Amino acid sequence: MRILVVEDDPDLSRQLKQVLKEQGYAVDVANDGVEGHFMGDTEPYDAVVLDLGLPQIDGVSVLQKWRSDDRKMPVLILTARDQWSEKVAGFDAGADDYLTKPFHTEELLARLRALLRRASGHTTDTIEIGDLVVDNRAARAFVNGMGIKLTSHEFRLLAYMAAHVGRVISRTEMVEHIYDQDFDRDSNTIEVFIGRLRKKIGTDRIETVRGLGYRLVDPDDPSKK
Amino acid sequence: MTSEAEKPNPSLVSRLVRAAAFWMIPALALAGMLLSWLYRDTIYQSFDDPLEQAVTDLIAAVEVLPDGRLALAREPIDPKYQRALSGRYWMVGEAGQGAIVTPLLASRSLYGETLPIDPRDRTRLERASGEAVRFSSLGPDGGEPLRVVGRQVALSGVDKPIIALAAADRRATSRSVLRFAATSIGVLMLLSFGILAAIYAQVRTGLRPLFDLADRVASVREGRSESVEGRYPAEITGVAEELNSLIVHNRNVVERAQTHVGNLAHGLKTPLAVLQNEASVGQPIDPEIVSRQADVMRGQVDHHLRRARAAARGQAIGLTSVVDEVLSGLARTLPRIYRDKNLSIDVDGEADLRFRGDKRDLEDMVGNLMDNAAKWTSGSVEVTRQITEEKLHIIIDDDGPGISEDEIETALKRGARLDEATPGSGLGLAIVDDLALAYGGGLSLSRSPLGGLRAELMLPRAQ
Repeated sequence: MRILVVEDDPDLSRQLKQVLKEQGYAVDVANDGVEGHFMGDTEPYDAVVLDLGLPQIDGVSVLQKWRSDDRKMPVLILTARDQWSEKVAGFDAGADDYLTKPFHTEELLARLRALLRRASGHTTDTIEIGDLVVDNRAARAFVNGMGIKLTSHEFRLLAYMAAHVGRVISRTEMVEHIYDQDFDRDSNTIEVFIGRLRKKIGTDRIETVRGLGYRLVDPDDPSKK
Repeated sequence: MTSEAEKPNPSLVSRLVRAAAFWMIPALALAGMLLSWLYRDTIYQSFDDPLEQAVTDLIAAVEVLPDGRLALAREPIDPKYQRALSGRYWMVGEAGQGAIVTPLLASRSLYGETLPIDPRDRTRLERASGEAVRFSSLGPDGGEPLRVVGRQVALSGVDKPIIALAAADRRATSRSVLRFAATSIGVLMLLSFGILAAIYAQVRTGLRPLFDLADRVASVREGRSESVEGRYPAEITGVAEELNSLIVHNRNVVERAQTHVGNLAHGLKTPLAVLQNEASVGQPIDPEIVSRQADVMRGQVDHHLRRARAAARGQAIGLTSVVDEVLSGLARTLPRIYRDKNLSIDVDGEADLRFRGDKRDLEDMVGNLMDNAAKWTSGSVEVTRQITEEKLHIIIDDDGPGISEDEIETALKRGARLDEATPGSGLGLAIVDDLALAYGGGLSLSRSPLGGLRAELMLPRAQ
């Protein structure tokens, strides 16, 4: 899952990036409204954390622009203003959630998980595919109740595939959603990750659809046989 | 518009002086004209009276000779009648066709000339039927202006009416009238200036206390004195008193603001010190301590923000806000906040209500109550708007677990007023109650027919 953080305070944006990375997300940071709007407009983020008081263009305007250009990613607004009129304006502009500063990191993470969950149509933070369990809250995966060691990129890839379980995901899409902007992207590394994942969770859980990409499946599901 | 606004406002003194000049100058001019006219009338009167006497004497002296000619029993004695073109004339003539008067007898001063009569004056003579008529004419000496008195009489033995005229040069009199007019204009102008100067002085003296007041206010602003001192006339005592209370109020506001900024700063210093120590000990930072101190700071900031809001409430006089705007905003927003709940908010009752107060306060109150209802409900929140005479009621029902009688009391307990409450205490419903009370309304809690809590907010209504 790839998250955009638009926040002008350098310390806060650094902290957010840190916390979100630990939670297993790929994170990009924009420091003003113009940059934030451009990045949200051009990259396929899974969610955005948007500060309202931004230099150049304020957050509500950025959000309105995205929405009028049909950018539908979930947006969590982060602001110091706690008046109801601000909240109403934020939600009217198209926000999906609202969090006032100061906030606890756990709350931000929980709300972000809820947004991502809702966007992919799941009801809980843990996704179960047969006896494979992906726990987004703890950023861990289990097979038959046993925890498996995953690198952060491996977990990201697995979490993204789990969120879209049953759907064929192209390598390009994977690259776009598991690497942040600064990463030197190479879609060949995806194959390496897929290979490692297969080793850790079981080869038959990831199907290769030739020419299209990969699909996470439940090998024990009778409908798949 | 702008050019008018840029023009300096004329001073009170100039306004009053100009207003005085506005009526005084025309009034004095009119008085001057009236005086000159009266003087001229009087002068002419006294000029014409001897002429009339002369005409009467003339008629008395006229004799009709047996051959039908006329003669004078005795000539008028004034020697001026003898000297040619002297300016004094008499003439006795016979009324001819139209305006023509055929001279029969005349003073020697006329020197063979005749006294011309305007046709209009001629008619007047005829109509006067024997009475004296006064008019102006031109004399034989190069047409000098004359005053003429004439009478038309019928004499026995003469067929046609006889006209007797006596005339005198009026140039000397006119000169005297002109001189009088000139003098009076000069005197009246002097009088105008005098009066205007007096009015200016009077206005300055009258307005002196106002100028004093301005000076005092300036000295307060420059910090030279504490308040507007001195005794003022009854008319501006009120202003001075209001200014003083404004100054006191202003000073209190500033003092209070300083106190609060000070309190906030001091409130933040302790947690800051703890955080600084924590960072400089040289061992791993204890997240527990950091987050505890951050909570303390957050509480301080929240408390002072609320205080600032409460202080601003005093300026809410005259504000009104549209209730439906606030309700619909909240009804739109809350389901998005509690998205997992499938929340439905129904708004019912009187539409188009206006609250007499600040919109943000209304949002605070209704927002807190509706948020509370949305938090506890299992899915349905009902908002009802009602009106009584001067109040509006917003009733918020939810179908959540509700709270017991005891809890209701605790929820509304105000340990202290909002502005004295310690940070972190008395949040939620108590804040709403405090705010409503500040507006002369109130909050009551009871069991809702839906099963949960019913919160009824009563607020002043604007028409």
